[in-house]
Amino acid sequence: MRGVLVIAGKDLRNLFLSPLFYGIAGLCTIAWTLVYFLGLQDFAQASAMSMMQGGQDGGANIHFVVFARHISLVNLVMIFSVSAMSMRLFTEEKRNQTMSLLLTSPVTATEITLGKLLAGLAAAWALVAISFLYPLSLRAFASFDWGPLISSYMGLLLITGCYVAIGMFASSLTESTVLSVVMALIFNVMLWFVGAVAEAQPEPPWNKIFEHLNVGTHFVNFIKGSVSVAGLTFFASVIVLMTFLTQRVVESNRWR
Amino acid sequence: MDMIEVSGLFKSYGPIQAIHDINFKVKKGEVVGFLGPNGAGKSTTMKIITGSMAPSGGSVRVAGFDVFEDPIEVKKRIGYLPENPPVYGDMSVESYLKFVAKLKGVEASRVKAQVEKSIEKTDLGSVRRRLIQNLSKGYRQRVGIAQALVSDPEVLILDEPTSGLDPRQVAEVRALIKELKGEHTIILSTHILPEVQAMCERIIIINRGHIVAQDSLEGLSTRMAGATQVKIKVARPSGEVEKSLQAIPGVSALVKSEHGYAMAIASGGAADGATDGVVERIAEAAVQSRAGLLELRRESADLEEIFLKLTTSEETQTTGGAV
Repeated sequence: MRGVLVIAGKDLRNLFLSPLFYGIAGLCTIAWTLVYFLGLQDFAQASAMSMMQGGQDGGANIHFVVFARHISLVNLVMIFSVSAMSMRLFTEEKRNQTMSLLLTSPVTATEITLGKLLAGLAAAWALVAISFLYPLSLRAFASFDWGPLISSYMGLLLITGCYVAIGMFASSLTESTVLSVVMALIFNVMLWFVGAVAEAQPEPPWNKIFEHLNVGTHFVNFIKGSVSVAGLTFFASVIVLMTFLTQRVVESNRWR
Repeated sequence: MDMIEVSGLFKSYGPIQAIHDINFKVKKGEVVGFLGPNGAGKSTTMKIITGSMAPSGGSVRVAGFDVFEDPIEVKKRIGYLPENPPVYGDMSVESYLKFVAKLKGVEASRVKAQVEKSIEKTDLGSVRRRLIQNLSKGYRQRVGIAQALVSDPEVLILDEPTSGLDPRQVAEVRALIKELKGEHTIILSTHILPEVQAMCERIIIINRGHIVAQDSLEGLSTRMAGATQVKIKVARPSGEVEKSLQAIPGVSALVKSEHGYAMAIASGGAADGATDGVVERIAEAAVQSRAGLLELRRESADLEEIFLKLTTSEETQTTGGAV
């Protein structure tokens, strides 16, 4: 456990002292601000419309018009920015030749992997926390239901956790940062394409199987405000599987 | 007590055998030089001892712990400087050493003191707040040594600690390693013979994955002096030549080849003059027996050959600056 914290601490410190994190965070906020603003405008328009019609339809739902849109954009941006941040986790160690330092220190491959995962999660979740400031700031002007917002953010934390684990696995495979980013992107996008396969497989039992493998269904459920065991299990399994595979790759460094 | 015990170590990369049946022991407090040309298998052996690489066969014990069964216990006791110092360019010297100390399991209360100690020993005080990427190669190498020292390990494994340094820095590093003698058990690798002479008590010579000799410094020099080979080529080999050659005192192990003879001269001592005398008599005998001497070649034995190779590379390094 000591090793996990030492490695995670070093990685986080180096990330937060490097311009990379701030560059990515800056670019993310530009995209988020633009779209969030548009969402608010749409919401204002829809609300005005509903008022004119006498408000019988209950008015526009801020969660779906503003927050859901914001959250899907955050998710899209995270696919790219997490891939860019997690590429450093192992490729950097290999390029610096510091992997030998980690491998000759009294820490296990599991500790190294968990330390890296923790650092990656902290960095990615720092970005998610920044994106949470948008709905939070709205609290000053409007009252809304916390429930679906919190469940959406739970989903967002879990799905970025998957991107981190996938990116970490990709970076453990290669010494090239470019290749690592490309692999991470392809793996992340593949996660989403399972949904397309699910739609192309109408007959049971395949449609059921692919439905459970579809990251889209699980994520949308979280956005809708439903936290299901199936969803939690799915995201946890992806993170655990990728961490396990990375641990095997790290361990195999000894055998090559 | 044996601090390091290596027995029957093998390592192959696919069809290439990097090291072959390596056996040696290092006593506590000893400084052992691992000598061999580039590609001899020095780094591979060191990587296996530090537990960062698994061998294809054989075993290594450090302080009584098996590297493969108790890797954590072994790694706690080893400070390792790989060929390239494992440093993070975007960290300052001080924060890097703190990180390594914590990683190596130094207690939180002792981290600061240990970092200070290793900075002092490696004379890095003037650059402690600089980023490592802005340091020269010599300083980086010193940071690498400081990193190996920071956990105050019982065993130090240094892979070519002086490579890439200028002569003054080389002298400094050698002095530092001498200072560390006694406190730590040290294995260092090099392809430079004088380096071993300057720092080590015992030498292990490795070539093409085999240990070709291991002895103390004095033991090796006497053995080296005792083996010179002479090869002659004659136009008309005959029994008469063979007999007269064999009759020369000092000539042993006469072997007949297609156009001549190969023989060893065992002078038994370091006196070069004696060997010269024997060589002279060989030439006389060949001429007097009218065998038609075409060629006389004096060759050093294998061990010396290796040494010669090594000493030549030292010369090119000091004169030409090439490593």
